Amino acid sequence: MILPIGPVHPALKEPLRLKLKTRGERVLEAEIDYGYVHRGIERVMKGKTWQKGIYLSERVCGICSYIHTQTFAETFERIAGERAPLRAQFLRVLTNELDRIQSHLLANSTYFKILEHETLFMYMLYLREPIMDAIELLTGNRVNMGWNVVGGVKMDVNQSHLDSILKIIQNLEDEYDRYVEMFDHGPMIGLRSHDVGKMTREEAIKARAVGPIGRASGLKHDLREQHHTYKDHFDWKVIWRKDQDNYARTMNRFDEITESIKLIKQVINNLPEGEVRKQINIPAGYAEWRNEAPRGEVTYMIETNGNLIKNVSIRTPSIMNIDACAKYMLKDVATVADALATYASVDPCIACTERVMIVDETGKGQEYVYPDYKIPYLKDKTED
Amino acid sequence: MSSVIWYLYEFARKSWAEKFANARTDQEIMETPSRFRDFPQVRKEYCIACGACTAACPAPMAIKLVRTSDSAHEEGITYPIINTRGCIRCGFCAEVCPTDPKTLLCGENHLIREKFTILPVDKMFVIDDYLCIRCKKCIKTCSEIAGAISEVDKKPVIDQSKCIGCGDCIKNCPVKGAIKGIFIENVEEQKAIINMVVDVLEARIEADQDKIMKLEPEEIYKIDFPLDELVDEARKIIPNDELIRDSIKKVTDRLKMRIVTWDDEKCTNCRLCVGECPSGAITYDKEKGVQRNPDKCLRCSICYQTCPFGVAGFYVARFLLTETALEDGIIRITVKPSQLPIGVD
Amino acid sequence: MLDSLKDIIRKSSIHACLVSTGGCNGCDIEIVALLSPRYDLEQYGIYFHNNPREADVILIAGAVTEQWREKLQRIYAKAPEPKVVVAIGNCPLSGDVFNQEGSSVYAPVSDFIPVDAEVSGCPPRPSEILAAILAVGPDAIAAKGRLAKGDQKAEASEEAELNQKAEASQKGGEEKV
Repeated sequence: MILPIGPVHPALKEPLRLKLKTRGERVLEAEIDYGYVHRGIERVMKGKTWQKGIYLSERVCGICSYIHTQTFAETFERIAGERAPLRAQFLRVLTNELDRIQSHLLANSTYFKILEHETLFMYMLYLREPIMDAIELLTGNRVNMGWNVVGGVKMDVNQSHLDSILKIIQNLEDEYDRYVEMFDHGPMIGLRSHDVGKMTREEAIKARAVGPIGRASGLKHDLREQHHTYKDHFDWKVIWRKDQDNYARTMNRFDEITESIKLIKQVINNLPEGEVRKQINIPAGYAEWRNEAPRGEVTYMIETNGNLIKNVSIRTPSIMNIDACAKYMLKDVATVADALATYASVDPCIACTERVMIVDETGKGQEYVYPDYKIPYLKDKTED
Repeated sequence: MSSVIWYLYEFARKSWAEKFANARTDQEIMETPSRFRDFPQVRKEYCIACGACTAACPAPMAIKLVRTSDSAHEEGITYPIINTRGCIRCGFCAEVCPTDPKTLLCGENHLIREKFTILPVDKMFVIDDYLCIRCKKCIKTCSEIAGAISEVDKKPVIDQSKCIGCGDCIKNCPVKGAIKGIFIENVEEQKAIINMVVDVLEARIEADQDKIMKLEPEEIYKIDFPLDELVDEARKIIPNDELIRDSIKKVTDRLKMRIVTWDDEKCTNCRLCVGECPSGAITYDKEKGVQRNPDKCLRCSICYQTCPFGVAGFYVARFLLTETALEDGIIRITVKPSQLPIGVD
Repeated sequence: MLDSLKDIIRKSSIHACLVSTGGCNGCDIEIVALLSPRYDLEQYGIYFHNNPREADVILIAGAVTEQWREKLQRIYAKAPEPKVVVAIGNCPLSGDVFNQEGSSVYAPVSDFIPVDAEVSGCPPRPSEILAAILAVGPDAIAAKGRLAKGDQKAEASEEAELNQKAEASQKGGEEKV
């Protein structure tokens, strides 16, 4: 039988329709219906100045809103052939990692909620709140921060801000291992996480899975390796696993948080002095830029006439990850409850996915399709 | 079994027990951190009504300019109001606000402002975008002198940091007023001079009202007005001949004065005009008949178009300053009857 | 006597349902943050259970997109009386930055269903949401409950009308498919 789930359902925090083809309790196949949060954001962005566009790009997705503004700003900086001042680059790394921590904690908490492990769900949110405080202290807002601009960041920080952020991070680090252990050795969680929702490396490549989902399947690929600030100034390593199941994906996120904590400490200890914002004159041109969002890679392709945005195209990681989930992970899952847990382990973000609508003119109504993006090879980015 | 032991171990921790004993929501959740960006604060008194905030705001419906109605003592002030149902608390309006101190306050911002250029003269040259015909003569002229004018987006633009204020561009510009040299200091004195000149010229025309009333439809009445009187008055305001001449020239270039005359003898007290007058300048009194108060008059010409008996006359005056020195300069005034149609429709 | 008892019960136990009708997700995660130990929404007797069929409070977060226009009314009809609708964030109030030329949002949400309370901000802080829900939620539900009792006929006919509409739209939808 076909079991439809959503768009409003206790298990989903965002609107989406999940159609599970089941025989008895066993899930054979899954299909996903999009289109509930299509707002036409790319169309709105066209013909606006970057000053307005950056606030629109922030609202592509509320959870990873920061990385969207950073990618947007860096695309424009690439059109101009310049880079933000070094202090601004370091502050961007700081905010990016704080954002990554809160996003991963939220993703894991959702996973535990769907596993009905209320204790860990609460603990994850308990850990997340101080991080949100740090973000609010740093940028002035909790979710949509409005902190990046082309050419740097809006506000400077002083030593007392850095100290309080360092204190928050230190507290997190002290308590962190306990909660990870709770997950690692928890008997009930282990039972429901190990060997559920497997996706092999080959399948991950086929489905173009990115981010923690791809890395948990053995794809050692993190775009931060190629980003100029991370490459030149920081010492860190890519986290990846070979287990390929729900446990690996969740654990991968936990380990990435550890790595982010390390990065934040390096930023705060080595923050260079100087300006945080500089004036950049933007010529007409086209550029694209990719960054590692908490969920994978986000790509911005922007064409400008020097003042207004002529054309913009955004590619977010969730679309590939959700498709990978529907195609490979939800194939032959033992129970419906496990299918939902698998879906949650992918950390789906629906608001990210829906921007392009192509109306099918054959008369069969509207269809939501995503066009083929032409993404050039990585070489193109690293040579700059 | 192991999980039960594990949970017991978990609950036995000291901090957990403490939290369990006093479980309550902290007061601090209602407090915002010092750098929290709330809805922008508006300080009405600094607003210059430039509209930068409304143009810059990324959210539609979030901000708009309003104007309070005039009272008897002072003019109404214009200021922005924030609609909290639309405002996204980005702080961009505060960033673009040009006033100092800022009208809009919203968090900290590090805005890069253009540094003020130090002018070699007290005049700033600007190009009027509407009047400019893009002939590029100014670019050609300036390239030999300072190279301050260049073409940006097919429009000539003056780079203020390079301009030496020679004024050659104005001389070569084929359109009158397309390039302007503006005195950036003594703005109040300039205003006073302009007001004084307009008042004096108006009084001069009013003095000749009897002659003007007798003009035929196509006839033109000319007055030559010597500058001496004006210059003496202006020198009392500010003793700067160049500035005075500049101000007077600007007045005569731009000014088009409308004159309304009133012929009481023709009036039959029909009172058609009383209701039509938008400013209440025309009143009716049983003893005095229809009266016009020139101080209240807007010169809108409605009474002239309404009156079937030709009581009101409507004339247009134009001015020209001769290209001579201040001392024996003359303003040529031409007054001619308006060609507006008359009659009640 | 019975009424006052009902009031007390209604005030002290509220089921909320979050409907995200196409926003940026920011308000949704701020509502999830409300469940955290720091804000602890459940101590006020509010329980989150994303099921409109047993909800007393429907929280709307998001500008209404194409797909939600009919479904939102259907969800509203499904919730039992008395019900309160709270619009959270700027999207349901004004459409926020999305409500511009070329977009496909149909804000405000009050065009589709009646809204009882609103929290502005993009997104509002959890404490602001908490304050708004507590300020309006319990009393409004109790008041609506009394209203429903006193004016049962009118309410019933209204509900029937809404149900009819929902059914009709459902049928229409099925036919299309």
